[in-house]
Amino acid sequence: MAIFNIKKREIECKIVYYGPGRCGKTTNLEYIFKSYKKQVEGEMVSINTEGDRTLFFDFLPMELGKIKGCEIRVQMFTVPGQVQYSSTRKLVLKGVDGIIFVADSMDVRREKNMESLKDLQKNLKEYGLNIFKIPLVLQYNKRDLAEQGIPIMSVEQMERDLNRQLKVPAFPGSAMTGKGVGKTLQECLKLTLKSLHKQFNWAE
Amino acid sequence: MAINIKSLLQQAEIYRSQGLLQDAEKKYLEVATAIKNSDNIQNKNKLLKAVKKKLSAVRKDNEDVETAPTSPEMSSHVNEMIKKLFSFSHDKTNEEEAALEGAIALAKFGQFEGAITEFKKLLEKESVGVAAAKNIIRCFMTLDSIDAASTQMYEWESSDYFSAEQMEKIRSFFDEMLEKKGIKRDLAASDLPEEEEAVEDEEFLDISAVAITFDSGPHKGEQVELDVSFQSGNIISLIISSNDEHMIENLQVGVKLEDIHFYSPIAIFRGTGVVSAKTQINSGPKKGDYSVDIKIQSI
Ligand SMILES: Nc1nc2c(ncn2[C@@H]2O[C@H](COP(=O)(O)OP(=O)(O)O)[C@@H](O)[C@H]2O)c(=O)[nH]1
Ligand SMILES: [Mg+2]
Repeated sequence: MAIFNIKKREIECKIVYYGPGRCGKTTNLEYIFKSYKKQVEGEMVSINTEGDRTLFFDFLPMELGKIKGCEIRVQMFTVPGQVQYSSTRKLVLKGVDGIIFVADSMDVRREKNMESLKDLQKNLKEYGLNIFKIPLVLQYNKRDLAEQGIPIMSVEQMERDLNRQLKVPAFPGSAMTGKGVGKTLQECLKLTLKSLHKQFNWAE
Repeated sequence: MAINIKSLLQQAEIYRSQGLLQDAEKKYLEVATAIKNSDNIQNKNKLLKAVKKKLSAVRKDNEDVETAPTSPEMSSHVNEMIKKLFSFSHDKTNEEEAALEGAIALAKFGQFEGAITEFKKLLEKESVGVAAAKNIIRCFMTLDSIDAASTQMYEWESSDYFSAEQMEKIRSFFDEMLEKKGIKRDLAASDLPEEEEAVEDEEFLDISAVAITFDSGPHKGEQVELDVSFQSGNIISLIISSNDEHMIENLQVGVKLEDIHFYSPIAIFRGTGVVSAKTQINSGPKKGDYSVDIKIQSI
Protein backbone atom coordinates (compact mmCIF):
# COMPACT_ATOMS: atom_id res chain seq x y z
CA MET A 1 0.00 0.00 0.00
CA ALA A 2 1.50 3.25 -1.12
CA ILE A 3 1.97 6.15 1.20
CA PHE A 4 0.30 9.30 0.00
CA ASN A 5 1.39 12.38 1.85
CA ILE A 6 -1.28 14.86 0.97
CA LYS A 7 0.43 17.91 2.44
CA LYS A 8 3.76 17.31 0.76
CA ARG A 9 2.10 16.00 -2.39
CA GLU A 10 4.33 13.03 -2.37
CA ILE A 11 3.67 9.38 -3.05
CA GLU A 12 5.92 6.61 -1.93
CA CYS A 13 5.22 3.27 -3.52
CA LYS A 14 6.75 -0.14 -3.49
CA ILE A 15 7.82 -2.35 -6.38
CA VAL A 16 8.87 -5.92 -5.73
CA TYR A 17 10.91 -8.22 -7.97
CA TYR A 18 9.58 -11.72 -7.46
CA GLY A 19 10.63 -15.03 -8.98
CA PRO A 20 12.36 -18.34 -8.31
CA GLY A 21 15.82 -18.53 -6.78
CA ARG A 22 18.67 -17.47 -9.09
CA CYS A 23 16.40 -16.19 -11.86
CA GLY A 24 18.12 -12.80 -11.90
CA LYS A 25 16.15 -10.50 -9.58
CA THR A 26 19.22 -9.10 -7.86
CA THR A 27 20.99 -8.74 -11.21
CA ASN A 28 18.02 -6.71 -12.50
CA LEU A 29 18.24 -4.35 -9.56
CA GLU A 30 22.00 -4.06 -9.88
CA TYR A 31 21.63 -3.07 -13.50
CA ILE A 32 19.06 -0.44 -12.61
CA PHE A 33 21.31 0.89 -9.88
CA LYS A 34 24.13 1.29 -12.40
CA SER A 35 22.16 2.74 -15.27
CA TYR A 36 19.62 5.04 -13.63
CA LYS A 37 22.02 6.98 -11.46
CA LYS A 38 20.00 10.15 -11.78
CA GLN A 39 16.88 8.61 -10.32
CA VAL A 40 18.57 6.53 -7.69
CA GLU A 41 18.22 8.08 -4.29
CA GLY A 42 20.95 6.64 -2.12
CA GLU A 43 22.58 3.26 -2.15
CA MET A 44 21.50 -0.20 -3.12
CA VAL A 45 21.49 -2.44 -0.10
CA SER A 46 21.81 -6.21 -0.38
CA ILE A 47 21.47 -8.53 2.53
CA ASN A 48 23.16 -11.72 1.45
CA THR A 49 24.27 -15.02 2.81
CA GLU A 50 27.78 -16.25 2.26
CA GLY A 51 27.12 -17.85 -1.09
CA ASP A 52 26.01 -14.48 -2.42
CA ARG A 53 22.39 -15.44 -2.14
CA THR A 54 19.78 -12.94 -1.18
CA LEU A 55 18.96 -13.63 2.43
CA PHE A 56 16.29 -11.12 3.29
CA PHE A 57 16.03 -8.71 0.38
CA ASP A 58 17.78 -6.19 -1.83
CA PHE A 59 16.63 -2.62 -1.58
CA LEU A 60 16.97 0.30 -3.94
CA PRO A 61 15.26 3.66 -3.39
CA MET A 62 14.43 5.80 -6.43
CA GLU A 63 12.94 9.18 -7.09
CA LEU A 64 11.06 9.63 -10.33
CA GLY A 65 10.28 13.34 -10.08
CA LYS A 66 6.89 14.95 -10.38
CA ILE A 67 4.04 13.20 -12.12
CA LYS A 68 0.82 15.15 -12.42
CA GLY A 69 2.19 17.52 -9.80
CA CYS A 70 2.98 14.83 -7.31
CA GLU A 71 6.47 13.76 -6.31
CA ILE A 72 6.87 10.01 -6.86
CA ARG A 73 9.30 7.98 -4.84
CA VAL A 74 9.74 4.28 -5.38
CA GLN A 75 11.14 1.69 -3.05
CA MET A 76 12.33 -1.31 -5.00
CA PHE A 77 12.83 -4.67 -3.38
CA THR A 78 13.78 -8.17 -4.42
CA VAL A 79 12.68 -11.20 -2.48
CA PRO A 80 14.84 -14.17 -1.54
CA GLY A 81 14.01 -16.96 -3.95
CA GLN A 82 14.83 -20.13 -2.10
CA VAL A 83 11.99 -22.14 -0.71
CA GLN A 84 13.22 -22.02 2.88
CA TYR A 85 12.83 -18.25 3.03
CA SER A 86 9.11 -18.24 2.51
CA SER A 87 8.27 -16.16 5.55
CA THR A 88 10.72 -13.38 4.73
CA ARG A 89 9.54 -13.48 1.15
CA LYS A 90 6.04 -12.85 2.33
CA LEU A 91 7.10 -10.00 4.59
CA VAL A 92 8.95 -8.24 1.79
CA LEU A 93 5.77 -8.41 -0.25
CA LYS A 94 3.82 -6.55 2.39
CA GLY A 95 2.42 -3.29 1.10
CA VAL A 96 3.46 -3.97 -2.50
CA ASP A 97 2.05 -1.72 -5.22
CA GLY A 98 3.54 -3.27 -8.32
CA ILE A 99 5.31 -6.52 -9.15
CA ILE A 100 7.88 -7.63 -11.67
CA PHE A 101 7.90 -11.38 -11.93
CA VAL A 102 11.24 -12.53 -13.27
CA ALA A 103 11.10 -15.94 -14.90
CA ASP A 104 14.18 -17.94 -15.79
CA SER A 105 14.25 -18.89 -19.47
CA MET A 106 16.37 -21.99 -18.96
CA ASP A 107 14.63 -25.29 -19.67
CA VAL A 108 15.68 -26.73 -16.35
CA ARG A 109 13.92 -23.96 -14.45
CA ARG A 110 10.51 -24.42 -16.02
CA GLU A 111 8.85 -25.99 -12.99
CA LYS A 112 10.46 -23.50 -10.62
CA ASN A 113 8.98 -20.59 -12.54
CA MET A 114 5.50 -21.99 -12.26
CA GLU A 115 5.91 -22.86 -8.60
CA SER A 116 7.11 -19.36 -7.82
CA LEU A 117 4.21 -17.73 -9.65
CA LYS A 118 1.83 -19.86 -7.65
CA ASP A 119 3.63 -18.89 -4.46
CA LEU A 120 3.23 -15.24 -5.43
CA GLN A 121 -0.47 -15.69 -5.92
CA LYS A 122 -0.82 -17.39 -2.57
CA ASN A 123 1.12 -14.72 -0.70
CA LEU A 124 -0.79 -11.91 -2.36
CA LYS A 125 -4.03 -13.58 -1.45
CA GLU A 126 -2.99 -13.73 2.16
CA TYR A 127 -2.62 -9.96 2.06
CA GLY A 128 -6.04 -9.66 0.47
CA LEU A 129 -4.57 -8.88 -2.96
CA ASN A 130 -5.51 -10.40 -6.27
CA ILE A 131 -2.82 -11.39 -8.74
CA PHE A 132 -5.21 -10.55 -11.59
CA LYS A 133 -5.71 -7.02 -10.34
CA ILE A 134 -2.36 -5.92 -9.00
CA PRO A 135 -0.01 -4.15 -11.45
CA LEU A 136 2.18 -6.97 -12.71
CA VAL A 137 4.61 -7.53 -15.56
CA LEU A 138 6.66 -10.55 -16.50
CA GLN A 139 10.25 -10.72 -17.61
CA TYR A 140 11.64 -13.75 -19.42
CA ASN A 141 15.22 -13.44 -18.31
CA LYS A 142 18.54 -14.90 -19.44
CA ARG A 143 17.66 -14.89 -23.15
CA ASP A 144 21.39 -14.34 -23.83
CA LEU A 145 22.15 -17.91 -22.81
CA ALA A 146 20.77 -19.20 -26.13
CA GLU A 147 23.96 -17.97 -27.78
CA GLN A 148 26.00 -20.15 -25.51
CA GLY A 149 24.05 -23.21 -26.54
CA ILE A 150 22.19 -23.54 -23.27
CA PRO A 151 18.69 -24.96 -23.76
CA ILE A 152 16.16 -22.24 -23.15
CA MET A 153 12.41 -22.14 -23.62
CA SER A 154 10.80 -20.24 -26.44
CA VAL A 155 8.93 -17.09 -25.54
CA GLU A 156 5.74 -18.76 -26.76
CA GLN A 157 6.24 -21.63 -24.39
CA MET A 158 6.82 -19.28 -21.46
CA GLU A 159 3.71 -17.33 -22.39
CA ARG A 160 1.75 -20.56 -22.31
CA ASP A 161 3.25 -21.60 -18.99
CA LEU A 162 2.96 -18.35 -17.13
CA ASN A 163 0.86 -15.81 -18.94
CA ARG A 164 -2.03 -17.71 -20.44
CA GLN A 165 -4.46 -16.53 -17.81
CA LEU A 166 -2.75 -13.45 -16.49
CA LYS A 167 -2.33 -11.81 -19.90
CA VAL A 168 -0.01 -9.15 -18.54
CA PRO A 169 2.80 -7.38 -20.40
CA ALA A 170 5.82 -9.65 -20.74
CA PHE A 171 9.33 -8.85 -21.89
CA PRO A 172 12.20 -11.09 -22.94
CA GLY A 173 15.44 -9.81 -21.55
CA SER A 174 18.83 -10.33 -20.05
CA ALA A 175 19.57 -8.79 -16.71
CA MET A 176 23.22 -9.59 -17.35
CA THR A 177 23.48 -7.42 -20.47
CA GLY A 178 20.70 -5.10 -19.35
CA LYS A 179 18.54 -5.89 -22.35
CA GLY A 180 14.87 -5.44 -21.51
CA VAL A 181 15.56 -4.43 -17.92
CA GLY A 182 14.58 -0.79 -18.34
CA LYS A 183 11.56 -1.65 -20.47
CA THR A 184 10.24 -4.09 -17.89
CA LEU A 185 10.60 -1.60 -15.08
CA GLN A 186 9.06 1.23 -17.06
CA GLU A 187 6.00 -0.80 -17.91
CA CYS A 188 5.60 -1.86 -14.30
CA LEU A 189 5.92 1.73 -13.10
CA LYS A 190 3.41 2.85 -15.71
CA LEU A 191 0.84 0.31 -14.54
CA THR A 192 1.54 1.01 -10.90
CA LEU A 193 1.19 4.76 -11.22
CA LYS A 194 -1.98 4.37 -13.22
CA SER A 195 -3.41 2.23 -10.47
CA LEU A 196 -2.25 4.60 -7.73
CA HIS A 197 -3.74 7.52 -9.56
CA LYS A 198 -7.04 5.72 -9.73
CA GLN A 199 -6.78 4.95 -6.04
CA PHE A 200 -5.77 8.37 -4.76
CA ASN A 201 -7.13 10.47 -7.57
CA TRP A 202 -4.73 13.32 -6.98
CA ALA A 203 -5.09 16.32 -9.23
CA GLU A 204 -2.52 18.66 -10.68
CA MET B 1 35.30 -35.33 -27.00
CA ALA B 2 31.86 -36.11 -28.31
CA ILE B 3 29.79 -33.02 -28.98
CA ASN B 4 27.04 -34.25 -26.74
CA ILE B 5 29.35 -34.59 -23.75
CA LYS B 6 30.88 -31.22 -24.38
CA SER B 7 27.48 -29.57 -24.46
CA LEU B 8 26.34 -31.34 -21.31
CA LEU B 9 29.48 -30.29 -19.53
CA GLN B 10 28.99 -26.71 -20.61
CA GLN B 11 25.47 -26.71 -19.25
CA ALA B 12 26.64 -28.10 -15.96
CA GLU B 13 29.27 -25.38 -15.69
CA ILE B 14 26.77 -22.62 -16.41
CA TYR B 15 24.26 -23.93 -13.89
CA ARG B 16 27.01 -24.11 -11.34
CA SER B 17 28.22 -20.59 -12.06
CA GLN B 18 24.68 -19.34 -11.55
CA GLY B 19 24.36 -21.06 -8.22
CA LEU B 20 21.88 -23.62 -9.54
CA LEU B 21 23.68 -26.34 -7.71
CA GLN B 22 21.12 -29.11 -7.92
CA ASP B 23 20.69 -28.59 -11.64
CA ALA B 24 24.47 -28.62 -11.99
CA GLU B 25 24.75 -31.81 -9.99
CA LYS B 26 22.25 -33.56 -12.24
CA LYS B 27 24.08 -32.42 -15.35
CA TYR B 28 27.46 -33.57 -14.06
CA LEU B 29 25.92 -36.95 -13.41
CA GLU B 30 24.67 -37.04 -16.99
CA VAL B 31 28.15 -36.12 -18.16
CA ALA B 32 29.65 -38.94 -16.16
CA THR B 33 27.20 -41.44 -17.59
CA ALA B 34 27.77 -40.20 -21.10
CA ILE B 35 31.52 -40.57 -20.69
CA LYS B 36 31.17 -44.07 -19.32
CA ASN B 37 28.92 -45.13 -22.17
CA SER B 38 31.06 -43.68 -24.86
CA ASP B 39 33.54 -45.90 -26.68
CA ASN B 40 35.54 -43.42 -28.62
CA ILE B 41 36.98 -41.19 -25.94
CA GLN B 42 40.63 -41.04 -25.13
CA ASN B 43 41.69 -40.74 -21.48
CA LYS B 44 38.25 -41.79 -20.42
CA ASN B 45 39.35 -42.43 -16.87
CA LYS B 46 41.09 -39.13 -16.48
CA LEU B 47 38.00 -37.31 -17.71
CA LEU B 48 35.76 -39.29 -15.47
CA LYS B 49 37.91 -38.46 -12.50
CA ALA B 50 37.78 -34.76 -13.30
CA VAL B 51 34.00 -34.81 -13.56
CA LYS B 52 33.66 -36.70 -10.30
CA LYS B 53 35.78 -34.08 -8.61
CA LYS B 54 33.49 -31.37 -9.86
CA LEU B 55 30.52 -33.36 -8.78
CA SER B 56 31.65 -33.65 -5.22
CA ALA B 57 32.59 -29.96 -5.12
CA VAL B 58 29.07 -29.04 -6.21
CA ARG B 59 27.58 -31.36 -3.63
CA LYS B 60 29.68 -29.76 -0.96
CA ASP B 61 28.58 -26.26 -2.00
CA ASN B 62 25.01 -27.38 -2.02
CA GLU B 63 25.32 -28.73 1.47
CA ASP B 64 26.80 -25.45 2.68
CA VAL B 65 23.91 -23.55 1.22
CA GLU B 66 21.35 -25.83 2.74
CA THR B 67 22.85 -25.74 6.18
CA ALA B 68 23.44 -21.99 6.23
CA PRO B 69 21.46 -20.35 9.03
CA THR B 70 18.22 -18.92 7.70
CA SER B 71 18.18 -16.00 10.09
CA PRO B 72 21.63 -15.19 11.41
CA GLU B 73 21.89 -12.16 13.68
CA MET B 74 22.61 -9.12 11.56
CA SER B 75 24.59 -5.96 12.23
CA SER B 76 22.83 -3.16 14.02
CA HIS B 77 22.97 -1.17 10.80
CA VAL B 78 20.94 -3.80 9.02
CA ASN B 79 18.54 -3.99 11.92
CA GLU B 80 18.02 -0.24 11.78
CA MET B 81 17.19 -0.51 8.13
CA ILE B 82 14.74 -3.34 8.62
CA LYS B 83 13.01 -1.33 11.29
CA LYS B 84 12.69 1.65 9.00
CA LEU B 85 11.67 -0.17 5.85
CA PHE B 86 9.07 -2.39 7.43
CA SER B 87 7.26 0.00 9.68
CA PHE B 88 4.33 1.34 7.79
CA SER B 89 3.23 4.14 10.11
CA HIS B 90 5.81 6.79 9.45
CA ASP B 91 4.06 9.84 10.76
CA LYS B 92 5.09 11.66 13.90
CA THR B 93 1.76 11.20 15.63
CA ASN B 94 2.17 7.50 15.10
CA GLU B 95 5.71 7.21 16.31
CA GLU B 96 4.95 4.51 18.82
CA GLU B 97 2.96 2.51 16.33
CA ALA B 98 5.80 2.75 13.84
CA ALA B 99 8.35 1.68 16.41
CA LEU B 100 6.21 -1.33 17.22
CA GLU B 101 5.90 -2.32 13.58
CA GLY B 102 9.62 -1.92 13.11
CA ALA B 103 10.34 -4.16 16.06
CA ILE B 104 7.86 -6.74 14.81
CA ALA B 105 9.61 -6.72 11.45
CA LEU B 106 12.91 -7.43 13.21
CA ALA B 107 11.33 -10.41 14.92
CA LYS B 108 9.90 -11.65 11.65
CA PHE B 109 13.36 -11.50 10.10
CA GLY B 110 14.61 -13.62 12.97
CA GLN B 111 16.45 -10.78 14.70
CA PHE B 112 15.05 -11.71 18.08
CA GLU B 113 17.69 -10.16 20.30
CA GLY B 114 17.38 -6.85 18.51
CA ALA B 115 13.61 -7.08 18.52
CA ILE B 116 13.44 -7.68 22.26
CA THR B 117 15.61 -4.64 22.88
CA GLU B 118 13.23 -2.55 20.76
CA PHE B 119 10.09 -3.95 22.36
CA LYS B 120 11.50 -3.19 25.79
CA LYS B 121 11.80 0.47 24.88
CA LEU B 122 8.08 0.48 24.12
CA LEU B 123 6.81 -1.10 27.31
CA GLU B 124 6.11 2.22 28.98
CA LYS B 125 4.20 3.63 26.05
CA GLU B 126 0.54 3.74 26.75
CA SER B 127 -0.66 2.86 23.26
CA VAL B 128 1.65 -0.04 22.47
CA GLY B 129 2.96 -1.25 25.84
CA VAL B 130 0.82 -4.36 26.08
CA ALA B 131 1.47 -5.34 22.48
CA ALA B 132 5.20 -4.89 23.09
CA ALA B 133 5.05 -7.11 26.15
CA LYS B 134 3.23 -9.84 24.27
CA ASN B 135 5.81 -9.69 21.52
CA ILE B 136 8.64 -9.99 24.00
CA ILE B 137 7.02 -13.14 25.29
CA ARG B 138 6.60 -14.39 21.76
CA CYS B 139 10.27 -13.79 20.97
CA PHE B 140 11.38 -15.75 24.03
CA MET B 141 9.02 -18.56 23.16
CA THR B 142 10.21 -18.68 19.58
CA LEU B 143 13.75 -18.87 20.87
CA ASP B 144 12.57 -21.73 23.05
CA SER B 145 13.51 -19.73 26.15
CA ILE B 146 10.50 -20.60 28.25
CA ASP B 147 12.55 -19.83 31.35
CA ALA B 148 13.36 -16.37 30.13
CA ALA B 149 9.71 -15.79 29.33
CA SER B 150 8.64 -16.95 32.78
CA THR B 151 11.23 -14.78 34.48
CA GLN B 152 10.04 -11.83 32.48
CA MET B 153 6.42 -12.52 33.40
CA TYR B 154 7.37 -12.74 37.04
CA GLU B 155 9.22 -9.46 36.85
CA TRP B 156 6.23 -7.67 35.39
CA GLU B 157 3.78 -9.26 37.75
CA SER B 158 5.75 -8.32 40.82
CA SER B 159 6.18 -4.71 39.79
CA ASP B 160 3.53 -2.19 38.91
CA TYR B 161 4.63 -1.91 35.33
CA PHE B 162 1.19 -2.76 34.04
CA SER B 163 -2.29 -2.33 35.40
CA ALA B 164 -4.10 -5.44 36.59
CA GLU B 165 -6.21 -5.44 33.48
CA GLN B 166 -3.20 -5.13 31.18
CA MET B 167 -1.34 -7.80 33.10
CA GLU B 168 -4.28 -10.10 32.69
CA LYS B 169 -4.09 -9.74 28.91
CA ILE B 170 -0.39 -10.48 28.90
CA ARG B 171 -0.82 -13.42 31.23
CA SER B 172 -3.50 -15.07 29.12
CA PHE B 173 -1.36 -14.55 26.04
CA PHE B 174 1.54 -16.25 27.78
CA ASP B 175 -0.68 -19.15 28.84
CA GLU B 176 -1.90 -19.54 25.31
CA MET B 177 1.66 -19.64 24.00
CA LEU B 178 2.60 -22.21 26.59
CA GLU B 179 -0.31 -24.35 25.63
CA LYS B 180 0.52 -24.15 21.94
CA LYS B 181 4.10 -24.97 22.68
CA GLY B 182 3.03 -27.99 24.70
CA ILE B 183 0.88 -29.28 21.92
CA LYS B 184 3.61 -28.64 19.42
CA ARG B 185 6.04 -30.55 21.57
CA ASP B 186 3.74 -33.51 21.71
CA LEU B 187 3.48 -33.53 17.98
CA ALA B 188 7.26 -33.23 17.87
CA ALA B 189 6.87 -30.42 15.41
CA SER B 190 9.82 -28.49 14.10
CA ASP B 191 11.23 -25.65 16.12
CA LEU B 192 9.95 -22.44 14.58
CA PRO B 193 6.33 -21.33 14.44
CA GLU B 194 7.31 -19.66 11.21
CA GLU B 195 4.12 -18.47 9.69
CA GLU B 196 2.60 -17.15 12.85
CA GLU B 197 1.60 -13.56 12.80
CA ALA B 198 3.18 -11.27 15.32
CA VAL B 199 0.79 -9.50 17.64
CA GLU B 200 -0.31 -6.26 16.10
CA ASP B 201 -1.80 -3.59 18.24
CA GLU B 202 -5.54 -3.81 18.71
CA GLU B 203 -5.98 -0.05 18.58
CA PHE B 204 -7.93 1.48 15.76
CA LEU B 205 -6.13 3.49 13.11
CA ASP B 206 -5.87 7.23 13.48
CA ILE B 207 -7.98 8.97 10.88
CA SER B 208 -7.15 12.60 10.21
CA ALA B 209 -9.62 13.33 7.44
CA VAL B 210 -12.19 11.68 5.25
CA ALA B 211 -13.41 12.13 1.71
CA ILE B 212 -16.99 11.10 1.30
CA THR B 213 -18.60 10.42 -2.04
CA PHE B 214 -22.35 10.85 -1.79
CA ASP B 215 -24.56 8.60 -3.79
CA SER B 216 -27.71 10.65 -3.37
CA GLY B 217 -28.86 14.17 -2.58
CA PRO B 218 -27.53 17.45 -3.89
CA HIS B 219 -23.92 16.34 -3.46
CA LYS B 220 -24.54 13.19 -5.46
CA GLY B 221 -21.42 11.89 -7.14
CA GLU B 222 -19.33 14.57 -5.54
CA GLN B 223 -16.40 13.87 -3.30
CA VAL B 224 -16.25 16.07 -0.22
CA GLU B 225 -13.20 16.25 1.98
CA LEU B 226 -13.67 16.87 5.69
CA ASP B 227 -11.28 17.03 8.60
CA VAL B 228 -11.79 14.74 11.53
CA SER B 229 -12.08 16.77 14.71
CA PHE B 230 -12.09 13.90 17.13
CA GLN B 231 -11.79 10.16 17.11
CA SER B 232 -12.64 7.54 19.63
CA GLY B 233 -11.96 4.03 18.42
CA ASN B 234 -13.99 3.44 15.31
CA ILE B 235 -16.10 6.58 15.70
CA ILE B 236 -14.92 9.73 14.02
CA SER B 237 -16.44 13.17 14.46
CA LEU B 238 -16.68 15.76 11.74
CA ILE B 239 -17.66 19.38 12.01
CA ILE B 240 -19.98 20.63 9.30
CA SER B 241 -20.38 24.35 8.90
CA SER B 242 -23.89 25.65 9.40
CA ASN B 243 -23.61 27.20 5.93
CA ASP B 244 -23.45 23.79 4.37
CA GLU B 245 -27.13 23.02 4.60
CA HIS B 246 -27.15 20.36 1.92
CA MET B 247 -24.46 18.40 3.61
CA ILE B 248 -26.15 18.63 6.97
CA GLU B 249 -29.27 17.31 5.36
CA ASN B 250 -27.40 14.54 3.63
CA LEU B 251 -25.76 13.28 6.77
CA GLN B 252 -28.82 12.08 8.63
CA VAL B 253 -28.39 9.59 11.43
CA GLY B 254 -28.56 6.07 10.03
CA VAL B 255 -27.41 7.03 6.54
CA LYS B 256 -24.94 4.55 5.21
CA LEU B 257 -21.92 5.95 3.39
CA GLU B 258 -20.72 3.42 0.89
CA ASP B 259 -17.62 5.16 -0.35
CA ILE B 260 -15.39 6.86 2.15
CA HIS B 261 -11.71 7.49 1.86
CA PHE B 262 -10.18 7.47 5.31
CA TYR B 263 -7.00 9.49 5.49
CA SER B 264 -4.80 8.15 8.20
CA PRO B 265 -1.79 10.41 8.70
CA ILE B 266 0.15 8.63 6.03
CA ALA B 267 -2.08 6.51 3.92
CA ILE B 268 -5.57 6.32 2.56
CA PHE B 269 -7.97 3.47 3.06
CA ARG B 270 -11.27 2.95 1.40
CA GLY B 271 -14.24 1.80 3.35
CA THR B 272 -17.77 2.33 4.49
CA GLY B 273 -19.42 3.94 7.49
CA VAL B 274 -22.71 4.94 8.94
CA VAL B 275 -23.80 8.25 10.46
CA SER B 276 -24.29 7.46 14.12
CA ALA B 277 -25.03 10.88 15.62
CA LYS B 278 -25.59 14.47 14.63
CA THR B 279 -25.73 17.36 17.07
CA GLN B 280 -25.72 21.09 16.72
CA ILE B 281 -22.97 22.79 18.65
CA ASN B 282 -24.48 25.44 20.89
CA SER B 283 -21.50 27.17 22.36
CA GLY B 284 -17.96 28.20 21.63
CA PRO B 285 -16.35 29.30 18.38
CA LYS B 286 -18.14 26.62 16.36
CA LYS B 287 -21.54 27.56 17.65
CA GLY B 288 -24.28 26.78 15.16
CA ASP B 289 -22.18 24.23 13.28
CA TYR B 290 -22.96 20.55 13.40
CA SER B 291 -20.92 17.75 14.84
CA VAL B 292 -21.52 14.52 12.96
CA ASP B 293 -20.32 11.16 14.17
CA ILE B 294 -19.54 8.44 11.70
CA LYS B 295 -19.05 4.91 12.76
CA ILE B 296 -16.47 3.17 10.59
CA GLN B 297 -17.86 -0.13 9.43
CA SER B 298 -15.12 -1.46 7.27
CA ILE B 299 -11.75 -0.36 6.08
N1 LIG C 1 23.62 -15.38 -18.54
C1 LIG C 1 22.84 -14.73 -17.70
N2 LIG C 1 23.01 -14.88 -16.38
C2 LIG C 1 22.20 -14.21 -15.54
C3 LIG C 1 21.20 -13.33 -16.01
N3 LIG C 1 20.56 -12.82 -14.93
C4 LIG C 1 21.15 -13.34 -13.84
N4 LIG C 1 22.16 -14.18 -14.20
C5 LIG C 1 23.03 -14.95 -13.32
O1 LIG C 1 22.22 -15.82 -12.53
C6 LIG C 1 22.73 -15.95 -11.23
C7 LIG C 1 21.67 -15.58 -10.21
O2 LIG C 1 21.32 -14.21 -10.36
P1 LIG C 1 20.70 -13.35 -9.18
O3 LIG C 1 20.43 -12.00 -9.72
O4 LIG C 1 21.53 -13.45 -7.96
O5 LIG C 1 19.33 -14.13 -8.94
P2 LIG C 1 18.22 -13.92 -7.83
O6 LIG C 1 18.33 -15.09 -6.93
O7 LIG C 1 16.95 -13.93 -8.59
O8 LIG C 1 18.47 -12.62 -7.15
C8 LIG C 1 23.96 -15.06 -11.15
O9 LIG C 1 25.08 -15.86 -11.35
C9 LIG C 1 23.75 -14.09 -12.31
O10 LIG C 1 24.98 -13.64 -12.82
C10 LIG C 1 21.04 -13.18 -17.43
O11 LIG C 1 20.19 -12.45 -17.93
N5 LIG C 1 21.89 -13.91 -18.22
MG1 LIG D 1 18.71 -12.18 -5.16
